[in-house]
Amino acid sequence: MLAPAPAWATNLNDATVDAARAAIGSALIDAQIRVGEVQLYVHRDGIVAALTALRDTPGLEYQQLMEIAGVDYPAQAERFDVVYNLLSLTRNHRIQVHVATDEDHPIPSVTDIWPVAGWLEREVFDLYGVIFEGNRDLRRILTDYGFRGHPLRKDFPMTGYTELRYSEEEKRVVTQPVSLAQDFRTFDFMSPWEGAEYALPGDEKAAPGAALPQEKGAQTPLSADTIQKAGTSEAGKTPPKASSEPYAKTTADSTADTGKGKAETDATPKPADPDVIPSKQAGQNQ
Amino acid sequence: MGVELHSGPVELARSAGAASVVPPDQGFFDSLNGELTDKGFLVTSTEELFQWARTGSLWWMTFGLACCAVEMIHVNMPRYDLERFGAAPRASPRQSDVMIVAGTLCNKMAPALRRVYDQMSEPKYVISMGSCANGGGYYHYSYSVVRGCDRIVPVDIYVPGCPPTAEALLYGIMQLQRKIRRSGSIER
Amino acid sequence: MSAHDDAPTMAPATTAMDPHVEEVLGIETPAHPTEGDVTIQNYTINFGPQHPAAHGVLRLVMELDGEVVERIDPHVGLLHRGTEKLIEYKTYIQALPYFDRLDYCSPMCMEHSWVLAVEKLLDLEVPIRAQYLRVFFAELTRICNHMLNLGSHVMDVGAMTPNLWLFEIREDCMNFLERASGARMHHNYMRPGGVHQDVPLKLLTDIADWLDTRLPRLFEDAISLVADNRIFKQRNVDIAIVSREDAIAWGFSGPMIRAAGIPWDLRKQQPYDVYAKMDFEVPVGTRGDCYDRFMVRVEEVRQSARIMKQCLAEMPEGPIASDDRKVVPPKRAEMKRSMEALIHHFKLYTEGFHVPAGEVYVATESPKGEFGVYLVSDGTNKPYRCKIRPTAFSHLQAMDFMSRGHMLADTTAILGAMDIVFGECDR
Repeated sequence: MLAPAPAWATNLNDATVDAARAAIGSALIDAQIRVGEVQLYVHRDGIVAALTALRDTPGLEYQQLMEIAGVDYPAQAERFDVVYNLLSLTRNHRIQVHVATDEDHPIPSVTDIWPVAGWLEREVFDLYGVIFEGNRDLRRILTDYGFRGHPLRKDFPMTGYTELRYSEEEKRVVTQPVSLAQDFRTFDFMSPWEGAEYALPGDEKAAPGAALPQEKGAQTPLSADTIQKAGTSEAGKTPPKASSEPYAKTTADSTADTGKGKAETDATPKPADPDVIPSKQAGQNQ
Repeated sequence: MGVELHSGPVELARSAGAASVVPPDQGFFDSLNGELTDKGFLVTSTEELFQWARTGSLWWMTFGLACCAVEMIHVNMPRYDLERFGAAPRASPRQSDVMIVAGTLCNKMAPALRRVYDQMSEPKYVISMGSCANGGGYYHYSYSVVRGCDRIVPVDIYVPGCPPTAEALLYGIMQLQRKIRRSGSIER
Repeated sequence: MSAHDDAPTMAPATTAMDPHVEEVLGIETPAHPTEGDVTIQNYTINFGPQHPAAHGVLRLVMELDGEVVERIDPHVGLLHRGTEKLIEYKTYIQALPYFDRLDYCSPMCMEHSWVLAVEKLLDLEVPIRAQYLRVFFAELTRICNHMLNLGSHVMDVGAMTPNLWLFEIREDCMNFLERASGARMHHNYMRPGGVHQDVPLKLLTDIADWLDTRLPRLFEDAISLVADNRIFKQRNVDIAIVSREDAIAWGFSGPMIRAAGIPWDLRKQQPYDVYAKMDFEVPVGTRGDCYDRFMVRVEEVRQSARIMKQCLAEMPEGPIASDDRKVVPPKRAEMKRSMEALIHHFKLYTEGFHVPAGEVYVATESPKGEFGVYLVSDGTNKPYRCKIRPTAFSHLQAMDFMSRGHMLADTTAILGAMDIVFGECDR
């Protein structure tokens, strides 16, 4: 690993997976090591036993529950992933335990193993609507009193449904539907060559062969079916006109038409002016 | 008046004499003092008296909500020393004249803010500090943030910035003093 | 602890669960309490949400027996700004300033977790000077944070002067941070791949002078007023003792777990950036009370100054950000001459960079404890999910059992020693 990330005992990853398999048993659906972190996928009915085993088995010893995070994957059959991040103080090791569920199937609460889970579960309930059976205090925690909905679900709009204002008539703060002066601006940043939703003429020829990313940070290729969707859905419609169409037929090359200015007659490079061209590695703004 | 007009270049090097530093408004205070010792009383209009009293002791309600609250504390600490303007922090709304809404106002907090505002005694002023209080700022599109505290309480002075520096808040308070002087009415 | 046993029986009195939850779980709320029960009415008072000792917007619903605290139900979320949701709609660079605004007393340390998480997913190498700069300013921020916390803690228990002096140090810190980043509070200085700008040499020498002269004088003066002060000790010693077992079970971290006697410091145990090269000591408490928490922070300030001096001595010259142009924008001078650099700049500041799909949990030692970022990337230019692990959440939850049996006036000391900031707690 090149990144200067916190260096805990990642060399124990493989041994941990083996020990976890032995300790958890059949409730363990899958165990993986990704990006240097151990991820265990546990069935929700066995979560209490599994986490107890992870805490108490010698050789695992995850004493601390640091975090319970919810993640929403609407496309999955069980859309919510609840991730328990555990920390072992003695082995200096971290582990993620994933549990999948949906709105109607409660996850057994782990408040009896770690009292800290009380609020963490309340938070996941508040933000995602995941229910924890056995948590005696499952109230909303972060959102407003009387808030409706679960804001971190992917289908919940970022701006919500309601907003507040003080009503001079009623002499109190009242709720009203959201009205924004300006909508939140989002851009898809997709170039026409990488499968934007709108199709340009000639796109159908280029669709099937999208290149793989060569290096990190490069564009991720879209999956094949998104590209096909982009090709077919717009096929019947006429492609949108380019905004520059009335002016598009400019083929003039003369500088009078383009306003570009003539090329310099003496094309020799100018001598480098030390005041103008900044030196390398100097100055504050470089 | 101790200030002389120079037509030539300004003399930068001050003389070592003790009388070279003249406090602002010294002439005004001298004449006031002379009048008071001479006659034993002062004549002014009630309006001016009220404005003088209002601007001279703007006790502010510490309504620290978020990041801006830290700058609000800083303005009250020795380096900026807000109290030289007569503005002292009060924890109780009943005793305060101006509320500084410092930070993001969230939906859950909004009724409490209004209640505190209602508890303040008249005349009362509100300074909205920072872009979150002004209009939501960086959190404008959030589902849980009030897009500007002027939706909940009437605001007199908006101080921009994220967060505004302590100087900016100080300037905002001076602007509020100016506003009180210029509005020129006993009733607010 | 016997205090725990009360929780289940007392909870239903104020618990109003969502009707949907009760339906799913099949709970039936009894309409009337059992006859013959004698209802003993305690005082229930509301502390906050606007209270000068609450360090922000905390609401505590307290049940009191006379002046003794029986139960505390902290209500948080009064500063819930939806940061996690907003981050899902921003690119990785646009999301960075949200971290400044989480724990606004120690902004740079919040940024640190975020950039490390992004770098871990990208597997991006960071130049050594950038790592030194990050550690250096993270420690300066730690001093800055502890000044606020120590100052407000002593003020909450009745001392005024130390706070004024400590805030003078804080002003110095903010001036330095402003000179490095351009902003007094929300620095936005660290970036995935390094830091935003190099610092001028004069700034480093000024900080070195400050570390040698002004900081020790002001700080030791201020602490000498309270550390052995009888009143201060009466207000703090033996207040809210937390055992090692409780500290672990309640997910404590940072000064809170160290005060309980566990030498656990992520800078030491799980070093990131150049902390592995740093020579510093981890202070530990002996009794686990409020006084220990205070003194652990006091010692941490001295250790932070030590780390900063080492950084100054060892910091090499060199680049301050990775030269990976797909992640780090080019320098301005380069953009004047290179078309490719201009394109990179445009792309990085509009679209941002794409982060490979994956999930990481990266935690750093913020001044308040373990501040973690659980980052889920789906390969696009925006995070799929960013869960922020606040330090205050687990500490504040423990407020209930820590305050039980103590006097009402002690709650401010307990709260002050916890070091809670609501920007981070409520997100």
